[in-house]
Amino acid sequence: MIDEYAVEITALRRVFATGKGLRKRGPGHVALDGVDLAVRKGEVHGLLGPNGAGKTTLCKILSTVLLPTSGTAKVLGFDVVGQTSRVRESMGIVFGGERGLYGRLTARQNLKFWGALHGLHGKALRTRVDTLLERVGLTGRADDRVEGFSRGMKQRVHLARGLVGDPAVLLLDEPTTGMDPVAAKDFRSLVGELRAENRTVLITTHDMVEAEQVCDRVSLIDAGRILATEPPAALSEWITRFERVDVPAAPAEVVARLRELPGVGSVSTEDGRVRFETTQEGVAAQLVRALVDEGVTSVTTSKPSLEEVYLHVFGHNGMAVRK
Amino acid sequence: MRTVLTGCWYQLLVLRRSPADLMALFVAPVNTAVFLAIVRHADRPDLVGHAVLAPGLMALWAIALITCGELIDAERFGGTLEALVAVPARMLPLLTGRVVVVTTASLFAFAESWLVAVLFGLRVPIPHPAIFVISMLGTALAMACWAGVMASVFVLARSARIFQNALGFPFFVLGGVLVPVAMLPDWVRPLTNVVFLSWSSDLLRDALKTAPVQDFAGRLTALLGLAAVGAGLGAYLLSAVLKRVRSLGTLTYA
Ligand SMILES: Nc1ncnc2c1ncn2[C@@H]1O[C@H](COP(=O)(O)OP(=O)(O)O)[C@@H](O)[C@H]1O
Ligand SMILES: [Mg+2]
Repeated sequence: MIDEYAVEITALRRVFATGKGLRKRGPGHVALDGVDLAVRKGEVHGLLGPNGAGKTTLCKILSTVLLPTSGTAKVLGFDVVGQTSRVRESMGIVFGGERGLYGRLTARQNLKFWGALHGLHGKALRTRVDTLLERVGLTGRADDRVEGFSRGMKQRVHLARGLVGDPAVLLLDEPTTGMDPVAAKDFRSLVGELRAENRTVLITTHDMVEAEQVCDRVSLIDAGRILATEPPAALSEWITRFERVDVPAAPAEVVARLRELPGVGSVSTEDGRVRFETTQEGVAAQLVRALVDEGVTSVTTSKPSLEEVYLHVFGHNGMAVRK
Repeated sequence: MRTVLTGCWYQLLVLRRSPADLMALFVAPVNTAVFLAIVRHADRPDLVGHAVLAPGLMALWAIALITCGELIDAERFGGTLEALVAVPARMLPLLTGRVVVVTTASLFAFAESWLVAVLFGLRVPIPHPAIFVISMLGTALAMACWAGVMASVFVLARSARIFQNALGFPFFVLGGVLVPVAMLPDWVRPLTNVVFLSWSSDLLRDALKTAPVQDFAGRLTALLGLAAVGAGLGAYLLSAVLKRVRSLGTLTYA
């Protein structure tokens, strides 16, 4: 069985001490609360959850940067606590955000540095760096300092850095934060390439559409627990089921009538704006038609947020950002 | 070993991009000029050697304190510390390479001082060149070791940061940089004996005097011994830093 999984996590808990300085007392803050997760080799696995769910904490533990409070985690069969060097050799990490790169160095120098720390040198290092710069579309800016890069470009450098050690397992923590739509599309094709190269990818996100598009399986995480592991088809079903229909204004009696349609979940009004939330596929289209027939013309539909899906599917308030 | 070289290469790039990290190198010639002016005014040509060595030693210490003291903290601040923990390469050789480069660069201050003396029309003969060179190398080595200690101390004991800028002059005194420790009250001797700078500055000054250098081997051993203590302590503190990162997860500002 061990051979089958690239990442195996059992009963993983992480508690952060609360309070400041030496007076760290109290029960602590539970960031991960008994996580079980198995990622198959060659799989692109999504970890989908709202802010504060524990995604980054999980990535840090897998990358040996943070110790678990209890439970075990293995990468390619190597324990993240006891066999750190084996884990570090086989893993690449991309932590999202602007930080984590040397702004004063160029993109090429950044990659050379990290490549060297993965044991590459000489020609092998140069070739690897050139290939990666090409791959993330930065060849033209390779010798510019990273501090002058846009967020999206920095994110590409981050991605290249994660790949510089030719890792079998890649952790991507919110990799598309700050990317423009074009870059995000490129990113999706990059993940496709990684899958074709038979790498295992664990990618965290709070964007359902992204998770649906790139992942083979998606685990939903909230408040430090895995709620479910689903194929992306389940997500796309939720996305079409729980659509939103917004209108800037509508006659009260029309709203009252539409509220009774089967498949219309909740209706909320704010400053005259009305939002219908559907719970069945196809109902959104029906609503739009009905509204247009009533003469309400400026109708917009949108995809549900992750929080809404959590609310509908798991029946609790996923909206709260956990502290 | 290769990681040491990576550290050197990286630090050279950084220094080239931010020469302000070596601010003390801009100050050293000015200090030399001031000291030489005092020496000349007091009409004490025998103290020219002191005036030329002191600014170099001060720069060496100041750069270790400020620049090396910040090496790890800057990684933490920039969000790269975690990524450094997660690579296969070890942190100790990487830090060693970086510290060696910074320390080597700070040696340039001695050359500056010597040049200023030349501009003053003074010659600084070195009657014991071998002893001078060996003492200088020993000093650089010890400084590099203790710079490693500083890099970790200022991360572990965050309150120590408050004193970071103030840790110059006390050590210039304890290290006999300005005034030989022999001229300090007796009760500070136990303190000065464990500050490697005191051995360095005495040895370097003696190498500039015509009188034979007393007990060179013993004093060099003391200097190298203190260097070894610094190396051991530095390695230990670095592992404590890494342990703290992994267990508390608090070294990075999320
Ligand atoms: N170093 C830390 N010290 C204390 N609490 C932390 C620390 N890191 C994360 N947390 C807390 O743990 C929870 C999970 O955080 P995180 O893993 O960053 O979530 P996500 O990445 O899903 O947004 C949050 O409530 C966060 O405040
Ligand atoms: Mg996160």
